[in-house]
Order: sequence, then C-alpha cells, then structure tokens
Amino acid sequence: MTSTASDPIVSVRKLHKSFDKLEVLKGIDLDVRRGEVVVVLGPSGSGKSTMLRCINFLETFQSGTITVDGRPVGYEAGDHRRPLGEARNAKVREHVGMVFQSYNLFPHRTVIENVMMGPVKVKKVARALAREKGMALLAKVGMDHKADAYPGQLSGGQQQRVAIARSLAMEPSVMLFDEVTSALDPELVGEVLKVMRGLAQEGMTMIVVTHEMGFARQVADRVVFMDGGVIVEEGAPGDIMAAPKTERFGNFLSRNLDQ
Amino acid sequence: MFPVLQSNLPYLLQGAVYTVALSAFVVVFGALLGIVVGTIASAAPAPVRWLINAYVFVFRGVPVLVIMFLGFYSFPAVGLRLDAYTAVAISMVVYIGAFVTEAVRGAIAAVPKGQVEAAMSIGMRRIPMLREIIVPQALRLAVAPVLNISLMAIKQTSYASIVGAWELSFAAREVVERTLAAFEIFLGVMIIYFLICYPLSKAAALAEKRFSYVH
Repeated sequence: MTSTASDPIVSVRKLHKSFDKLEVLKGIDLDVRRGEVVVVLGPSGSGKSTMLRCINFLETFQSGTITVDGRPVGYEAGDHRRPLGEARNAKVREHVGMVFQSYNLFPHRTVIENVMMGPVKVKKVARALAREKGMALLAKVGMDHKADAYPGQLSGGQQQRVAIARSLAMEPSVMLFDEVTSALDPELVGEVLKVMRGLAQEGMTMIVVTHEMGFARQVADRVVFMDGGVIVEEGAPGDIMAAPKTERFGNFLSRNLDQ
Repeated sequence: MFPVLQSNLPYLLQGAVYTVALSAFVVVFGALLGIVVGTIASAAPAPVRWLINAYVFVFRGVPVLVIMFLGFYSFPAVGLRLDAYTAVAISMVVYIGAFVTEAVRGAIAAVPKGQVEAAMSIGMRRIPMLREIIVPQALRLAVAPVLNISLMAIKQTSYASIVGAWELSFAAREVVERTLAAFEIFLGVMIIYFLICYPLSKAAALAEKRFSYVH
C-alpha cells in the first residue's frame, strides 16, 4: 500500500445546505478513504441524498467544503468562497461517478452509445477504443448482449446496470449510488446489488445511499446513520447495526429490519 | 363541371407556385431562426434571455398583417429598396421565428432534469450536453408544435397580396373580379391550399417517427 492509501478520496467538512429557509444539512463531516465502501442509512428527509448530490455538485451549498481527490468541489479552496465555474465543476465530476434512482439513461442512444458518451465526448477517447472498453464494462455488468438495444427496451434492473457501466466508463475515483434500487421491482433488486457487491470486492471507493439493510451489513466497511441533517452515528456495520449506541438509530433499525 | 374554374386553373396554379415558394422560404428560415434562437435562449446568460423574451413577446402579440405593413414601409424608410416579396418574406421569417423560438424553448425545458444531471455527472460541459443530449430529445418534442406553426405560416402568406405581392389569393381575387364566380374559384383555391399543406403534415408525421424511440 502506498502512503496515499489512507488519504481520503472524499472529504466533507462542516457541510451546510438549505433549500430556502429549510436547512437540510446541518454540519456534515465525512471522510471516505480509497477502497472504502460507506453505506449511508437514514429515514426519508434525513438529507442523505442531498449530501450525495452535494459531493457531485448537483446541489450548491451555503457553507463548508468538499474535496474529491484533493480537488475542491463547487467553490475555491481557502477563505474566498468563489464558485469554481462550469469548466472546473465538469472537470471534478469526471472523477466522480453517480448512479441515480431513476437511471437517467439517454433514451435516444443505444446501450453501448450511452456507455461511450463520457469517454468520447468528455475525454476525447477514440470511438473504437471507447467501444472496446465499453463492451468490456457491459460484460462486467452482464449487459453486453443488449449493447445495441435502446434503454426503453430494457427492464429497470437492466437499465440500472447499464447506468453503472456508463459511470464506470469515466474511470472515476469514487462512485456515488443514490437509492439505486428504490425504483426497481423487488425481483430486480438482486441483480443490481450483485453488480455493486462485485465493484466493492474489486476495491472501488463507494458511497451508497440505500434502504437495503442486508447490503449495508454485508458489504459496507462503514455505516453512517443520518437523521435530521446530521450524522447521528457511524461505525462498522457489525458493531453499530448489532448494538446501536443511539436511540434514534435503534428505532430506525427496528422499524426497517421487520420488513 | 365548374367551367370557370377549369379555364382559370392554369392562372391560379401560377399563383400557387408563388405561394409555395414564399411558404417554403418562410417555413425553412423561420424554423432555422427559431431553433437557433430557442436553443440560445436555453443556455444564454440573463440579459440575452431578456432580449429574446422581448422579441418573442412583441412578435407574438402583433398580427402578422401589421408586421408585414411595418416591414414593407420601414425597409424603404431606412434606405432599403426591397420588392414586396422580399419585404414580406423577411417580415414573416422574423414573425414565424418568434413562434418557433418559443416552441423550441418549451421543448428543451420539457427534457427531464435527470437527463441534464446524468450528462453533468459524466463531466459533460454545457455545449456538448445541448448538442448530444438535450437538443436531439427536444427536437422530437418540437416537431408537432413547429408543424402547427408552419401550417399557420403557409396560410398567412395569403396576406402578402395586401402589400402587392402576387400569389394564389391575389390571383383568385383577380379571377373573381373578372368572372364573378366567387364560389367556384374559392372552392378551387381551398383545395389548392389543402394540397400544399397536406404533404407537410405527412412529412412531419414521418419526422416524428424518425426521431422517436421506445420508452
């Protein structure tokens, strides 16, 4: 292991975010190290998705700092909190993969074209090479047999696996998963979780917002429980999910484990 | 049947040629203008958007006839000696462009926000995002409204006769004044206008199919 192995890939400091007068993030601190899988749990409205979206700067934030791979997200580092501008935001996002609840595949492009979009249009990779790498990624998520299909012809689970491949094609430093199984039929959840489990085993750095308790327990290196815009509790899943230290997390677990 | 219409048909068809030429010019350049301005309106900074708003609201709020008169009389006022056709064509392109601008802007706004976020999340900049993701999806949504605007434009070319541009309606009135067979002639004119518009409806249906994809 190199000395950078323990350096955080993602570092969130004193993050505050409000929608108008409603403060949804009230000072979040979070470090995610290389290769770490962090699962964020919490009730709806706890701010977990908002925090994830801030890391990719899909949401602005009022104060605090976020860095990815040492690069500031959204605003200049230092005392002058100037917005970075569109070009630099785009540059940071190249290193952050994001998978959405609603897949958001490009419906007018085939599966392989979806996967090639980032490499070809952002990284200016030659089409032939991008296609070759894209096919390998599709094989990895078990979707290479549908390379020339359009997203509308696929099931939700298939679309979500293609969306994961599309993000991986940018070779990101960290992958963000925003409730990626919540819109799926129950029988399709497993195939997506399996792909995510495989990524975790390969050492991909991941931040996963989910309601899948089993995934948290089995795959997470660390579980973070958020409620009311703050991190209430965090630790190894074997510890805190077995013996929650706070009543809030205990209640949350008992509500969700019954299912 | 309809002997007056039959004997005057060649004259009316000559007029129709002018109507088709004027319509084609107005529809093609009006649509192009609207697509460009509508796309700019979706990506430009606020002052540019205000200008575009003003353009759209002014032209949408004024009858095309007034715009034609204004064009016809104001070009000479600034020293441009244009014939009636050119004046009408330019006026109508600007007029139709305003409607297409609004249709294109609406279509772009109707592309789901998730598409923008997905494009942003793979690091796409604004211009490639518009070109690769937003505009291709918006064009499909814009086909139906732009078709409506184009059909409206074709029919509005009949106003051109008022500033002296000779076309189908002008020819029809000449024939009616000479023959007094208003019913026959205008029945024929109605059919000719329909035959001009119908292929466009067909073409738009094809275009919509061409741009469509499975959902």
